[in-house]
Order: sequence, then C-alpha cells, then structure tokens
Amino acid sequence: MNPRNRELLLLLPAVFIATLGFTVVYARQTGSPAWAPLAHGAVFLGLFGIAHVCVRFLAPRADPYLLPVTALLCGLGILMIYRLDPDRAFLQSLWLGVGIVFFIVVLVSARHLERLAEYKYLLGLAGLALLIFTIVVAPETHGARLWVRIGGIGFQPSEFAKLLLIVFFAAYLRDVRELLTVSTRKILGVAVPPFRYLAPLFIIWGLSVLLMIFMKDLGTGLLFFGALLALMYVATGRAFYVVVGLVLFSLGAFGLYEIFSHVQTRVDIWLDPWQDPSGAGYQIVQSLFTLASGGLFGQGLGAGYLITLSGNPAIPALETDFIFSALAEELGLAGAAAVIMMYVIFLYRGFRAALVAGHDFARLLAAGLTVVFSLQAFLIMGGVTKLIPLTGITLPFLSYGGSSIVSNLGLLALLLLVSHDSPQEQGGDLALSNDHQGIRVVRNA
Amino acid sequence: MQGSIRNTFLFFLLLFLLLLVWLTYIQVWAAPGLNRNPRNTRALEQQMRIERGEIVTADGLPLVVNRREGPYYLRDYPQGSLASPWLGYAHPRYGLAGLEAAYNPELSGEADASVLDNFVGTVLGREKSGADLVLTIDSAVQRAAETTLGDRVGAVVALDPATGAVLAMASSPRYDPRLLSQAWERLSTDEGGPLLNRGTRGLYPPGSVFKILVAASALEERSITPESGFKDEGSWNAGGFVVRNYGDETFGQHDALTAFTKSINTTFAKIGVGLGATTLNAYVDAFGWREDPGLRLQTEASQFPDADEMDVAHLAQASFGQGEVLATPMHMALVAGAVATDGSIMRPFLVQRVVASSGVTLSEARPSVWKHPVSAETALTLRGMMREAVVSGTGTAAAISGVQVAGKTGTAEVADGLPHAWFVGFAPVEAPQVVVAAVVEHGGTGGKVAAPIVRTVIQAALNR
Repeated sequence: MNPRNRELLLLLPAVFIATLGFTVVYARQTGSPAWAPLAHGAVFLGLFGIAHVCVRFLAPRADPYLLPVTALLCGLGILMIYRLDPDRAFLQSLWLGVGIVFFIVVLVSARHLERLAEYKYLLGLAGLALLIFTIVVAPETHGARLWVRIGGIGFQPSEFAKLLLIVFFAAYLRDVRELLTVSTRKILGVAVPPFRYLAPLFIIWGLSVLLMIFMKDLGTGLLFFGALLALMYVATGRAFYVVVGLVLFSLGAFGLYEIFSHVQTRVDIWLDPWQDPSGAGYQIVQSLFTLASGGLFGQGLGAGYLITLSGNPAIPALETDFIFSALAEELGLAGAAAVIMMYVIFLYRGFRAALVAGHDFARLLAAGLTVVFSLQAFLIMGGVTKLIPLTGITLPFLSYGGSSIVSNLGLLALLLLVSHDSPQEQGGDLALSNDHQGIRVVRNA
Repeated sequence: MQGSIRNTFLFFLLLFLLLLVWLTYIQVWAAPGLNRNPRNTRALEQQMRIERGEIVTADGLPLVVNRREGPYYLRDYPQGSLASPWLGYAHPRYGLAGLEAAYNPELSGEADASVLDNFVGTVLGREKSGADLVLTIDSAVQRAAETTLGDRVGAVVALDPATGAVLAMASSPRYDPRLLSQAWERLSTDEGGPLLNRGTRGLYPPGSVFKILVAASALEERSITPESGFKDEGSWNAGGFVVRNYGDETFGQHDALTAFTKSINTTFAKIGVGLGATTLNAYVDAFGWREDPGLRLQTEASQFPDADEMDVAHLAQASFGQGEVLATPMHMALVAGAVATDGSIMRPFLVQRVVASSGVTLSEARPSVWKHPVSAETALTLRGMMREAVVSGTGTAAAISGVQVAGKTGTAEVADGLPHAWFVGFAPVEAPQVVVAAVVEHGGTGGKVAAPIVRTVIQAALNR
C-alpha cells in the first residue's frame, strides 16, 4: 500500500479513539451524551487531515506511522486536559492548530535538508540566543526561569532551542565525524581525538548546560546533555565519548548536588519521598497514589480522583508534568503501557528513518531528533513514576503547553522530511515491508 | 554509522522496557500498599461521593445534612455547634469521628440491611446513598442543657429511665463543625478540648452522688433502713483515715434518711465499711459501673478499686465517692435510672431509627433491660429518700413547683481548685419520665451550681 494511504488509514482509529474518549468524559461530566464530542472529533480529524494532505504533497514517501502515532498522543493529551480543565483543552486545541501551521511551515522551508545544514552556525546561534534571551527576560516561576511572555502569551524558548541545537549538532558532527574517529594522540593509553574539532561542541554543550543552571531547568539541561552524548556516539561509533560523557555527567551531577539546594531536594525526595510527604515529596507521593489507584485497568475516563474536594488538581502541575500519572489512573496500566508503546513506535520509526537515510546529515538529524524526543518522554515518565529523580519537563504531545506541542510538531516535520529523503523509501512498499534487507543494503553501500 | 544507530536504539528501547516493568511494579505490586497508606485520602474521597445519610433529632430537627460540591457530598450542620462533641465529623481530610464514625456503615449505606436497597437503586439508576439516623435526642432538651451549661466546662446527660433513650447529652466546651478545618490545629492538640465528649468520656470523682449507689446497696442488703440511727461527731477514724463532713459540719444523732438528704460523710463511711469491700464491689458491678453500656459511642468505663485492693481507709473514702472512684456522667444517670424505675437499668441508646433513603425503616431501637441491680422495693424506698433531699436536704435548688423532683447533690473535692459540682435527679417521682446527671468541672458545690442545671433540663424534658 502507498505510504500515504497507509497513514490515512491509521489516522482513522487514532481520531476514533480520541472521539470515543471525549464522548465518555463528556457524558460523565454532563450526565448525558451529546453531539459536542463529535464536533471535537471532527475538528481533530480536520487538523490532522490538513497535516496529512500537506505531507502527501510535500513529503509523499515519508514514514506512514509517525503522524498517526502523534495524532493519537495529541488526542489522548487534549482528552485528559479536557477532563481536568475544559478551558485549557480549548487553548490546547488552538495550540494544536498553531502547531499544525508550524508543521507545514517546517515541511515547506526545510524540504531541502542539505540547505538546512548550510545554515548550521546561524541556527546554532539562534538556539543559544533563545536561551540567553530567556535568562535575561524570564521571571522565576515555580523555581525555574522558563517562560517568556510576549503579548500576554506564555512562550517556552528552550523547546525551540532544542530543535535548533539538534540541527546544529547534526550538521557540525557530519562535518567533523571523520576527524573525530581518527585518533592522533594517546593519553594514558587511550586514543584521544584532536581537541580543536571537539571544542565547538563542548562550547555549545557547556554553554547550554550553564544556561540551564541559571534557568534552574534541570530537565532541559539533562535533555541537551543526553542528546549531544548520544549524537556523538552515533556519529563516531566510539564508546570513548560515552565514557567521557558519563564521567563528565557524574562530576557535573555531583557538583550540582553539592552546590544547589534544589538539586539536593530533588534527589533526596527521589530516594525517599516519605520523609516529607506533605512538603517536598508531596508531588511524587501523590503521583504514586494516583498510579496505584489506577491499577491494571484504571478507574475509567473521568472517574478518577484527579480533582480534589477543594477543586484543586490532586497533584500540582497535573496537566503538564504529571499528565502521564493522570492518564495512568483513569486508563490503568493497560492505557499507560499503550502510551509507552506509542513512544516506542515513534522511537523505532525515528531510528529507522536514521538507518535508511541517504546521507550523513539526515542520518544524524533523524537520530538526534528521535533521541531528544524519546529522552524527554523517558525523563518525565520515569520522573513521575519515581524510577528516576523528577525533573519538570513536558511529555511530548500529551502535556498541556503551547510551546511544547508546536516545537514537537516541528520535530515531527523534520523527521518526516528525513524519511521522505531516504533512497530506500523510493521503492515504496518493498523497503517498508522488508526492514532487514533495507538495512543491509545501506550497510553494503 | 548503522551499528551505533542500532545500539542507541536498543539502549532507548531498554529504557522504555525498564519503565514498563517499573510501572507494572507500581500499579500492580505496590498498589495495594499505596492504596492503604494513611496519607492516601483517596479512599475517603470515594466515601465522599456517597450521599451519606442525614442525622435528625427525634422531633425532626436536622443536625447533619449534605451539601453538594461537584461529584462530592460535604457535611453541613444547620444547628452549628449543637451536640458537636459527640456527633463528630465526616471530613475528607480529618476522617470520621463520633456518631459519624460509630454509625458509618449505616450512614454510608454499607450496612447489610441496605445493600439490597442500594442494589435496587443501582438498577433503577439512582445514586448510592446512605441511611438516615433518627436520634432519641429532643432538640429542646438538648438546647436547654447546652444553654444552661453555658461557657462552664462540664456535661449533662438526660435519659428516659423507662426506655433508656438518651434525651440530651451536652458537653462543654463545644466547637462549630462548619469551621473544623480552620480550627483543626487548635482542636486536635487540645486534649481536654471540644473534641472530647464529656458525657461518655469524662471521668470525674463522683463525690456524694455515689451515695445513691451505696445507699441502694445497703438498703438491698437490709443493713440499713431509712430509720436506722447513727451518731455523727464531725469526724470518724476509718483505719487511720479521718473522715470529715463537707464544710466540717457536725450533725449529732440522726437517721439514715437524714444522712442521705444532708449528705453526711461519716455515716456513709460507716455504712460502706459495714457492707465490706466485697459486697460493695459486687453492687458496683451489678450497676454496670465498670462496663460499656453499649451506646456505640466511644464510652469510658467508670472506675472502682477491686475488693482485694481496698483497706478500711480506702473503703471509707470510696463510700462517699472520693479516693479512687471515677464516674462518667452517663454512668451516674444510669445509676439514678435504676432508682427511677423498678430497680432495673435500661440499655441506653441514641439512635431511635435507621431509615433508608427509600423511606424504609431498616432498624428500630427496642428498649431492653441492661442491668437489674436492686429490687423494686429498694428503688421505691430510695426514690423517697432522693425526693426528701430535694424537699429538705442539700438539693432544694432543683425543686420545681407543681412537679415532684428527686435528686442527690455531689461536691467532689479535687487536688487543685474548686470542687466538681454534681447533681443527679429525676422527675416526676410518682412516674419518672426523665433522669438527668450534670457535672460542672471546678464549679463549686453541687447544690448551688449543678442542681439548677438539672432543674432546667428536667423542666425542658417535661414540657416537650
């Protein structure tokens, strides 16, 4: 089947599930079924329909699974936000609309991927500028400087800096990867690549992490760091970078832990949230109660205890950082596992696009985008389940937040362009139905 | 680059698998423990989704009703602080207490009798709701008891001696349950504060009101009659302990009736010592002194030392309600109840009826005899003696014109401050309809302070 028809066919169940969910939540809240959820479903289908049509024209050979997975995640996200706060769901729908526009803009403007690489320094500097701008302008809210207000609209520049910096990393690493793999010196018996080619990467990386320290946004700092480390490894294939990176990370983490009290608090409540269950550990303790209440099959949509008697959410930041906990209570382990599987499918299709991509920049770009996307999903889902220390970042496509959904739709557009660009995809169904052959062909090439 | 891409993919796949395993652990294995965690208010919130039954007085005044907020029902109290120390609360943050806790199965619709009713309700599409409680409390008597007690710390218990129905139970200080969350910090740390229902949980030395029990025992044992002669010299040495009368009065030659009406300590010490520790202990138990009368509210057992722990000095002190004797106002009312009837104590109850939301009565209280400590003859004799105490003794402040009131004063001396003021009485003597016990902590003498309280409450009960 033509990849676009496959995409269209898969969009239908995604829209159907979201509409069905809306109907259930709506009926629970108003006590009667109504046409309103169908209208929501129609608008939702319309938005992703437009996205689909644009992909059909601008990137017809693109991966058919990424867009439906995105649609399902967005649908579940808006559904949960609606269940928690209908006004915010309306805003989120508007942001989804803006995101689809951004998606189309990226599809159009970046369709010649090679040209994107030519502007790597400009894009990298723009990314840094966004971060510096945030530090200068943003007031501190909830202990972090993340938000910039322009004309009354909150805007989170780090979400976009993420995209720009990944493009820069991919383009730069494409240029220097040969040099990085060739070691000229040995220090203590370990082959070390020439430092001067590493310098720009370390500068950018160091700067962005420093900025994160000033912004007190640990999640995004960790995200940038992890993404760069993974890209270095992908580009060079050398475990050396991973080892150096992990040593650097350990030093950095230890330093941050020693210096900043809020980092200490984060780690301490991760180790034992019960030492202060109504103070610092409140969010994570409530999140665990929420997950436990969900059990295997959940309380049912709209039937969880997400809004307390006083009308407040059961967990502060429920519709942003803790949306996964909310979903896991109402849809249970079954629903939560399905969401994790959606991210795994995204991860798989993203890396597959990297594998079959026609040239190194596309390869590195797809890998970088997929890593940053998957790492972000893992960091927040791991955080709210107490698997790892909690860092306040959004869950891509699910969390409430305009910047997050818009930038991640941009990320999706870039991934689709990479998969469209791949020489293997030009054969249509053949490559799609025979992954291993496709990979082997590339290897031999 | 293919190898490193694949390795990176596998690494992230592993991360997500780890997350999946961990999430399964939390949502399946760790879930039961997390659901039971005392910090977890979800179970309580689930309860708040049930329309709990209302609580109304016998005369139909609603004390506890519901207020809807979103999917939840919150408790509201139209009468404010009325009866708050024992009504308790059902609060999403502070849990259950008092009658709300004791009757939670009925109020939340979980009691066996209303399961079928709820099932039918579910089938018919009605929301699950609890059963209402119709109390035995009369709002006028309750209000009279609380008003007359006022700001003074203490308690009043009023019973129908013929049935055991509690007509009023006042405990002071009280609190306004509508302001529970604002006052919680103060209330929860104040141990002798408004959250303590003094009617069933306040333990006080009874002082001379205990003489009702001692006199009943001696009459039943036929060791005295009202006419038995005694001689008081102002003090009496009992095994090294010198018994004195209140206010160091001396009464000279007198009979047992006068010893009761004038509350002569030396004579009661002699009567008690004459009975002996074993016999007195047997009567204390016959009156149910050391038992929970089964009100279903949290109730303290009154205290009395065991026979083998009592020497003559202890026995002499215990005979006029001092020393190691402690009583709750509820128990004192029950003791007087035996005198007001044919010598039997009816089992006290607070809830007359449990009515399902459908209107069907699920259960109805049936009066039953709890104890039968003395004979009808003894009760009748003692009734006359208690009547005389109001007519010409220490209890004249309890007298009501046109109604024959009987009673006994108590002035329980304590280590620090003024004595606790007691009065236990009932009316009308010919066919008692109400028995009232009142105590005012550090109030002064029973005749001056407690007797007028009992008088007011008896009047309210007879006028209802």
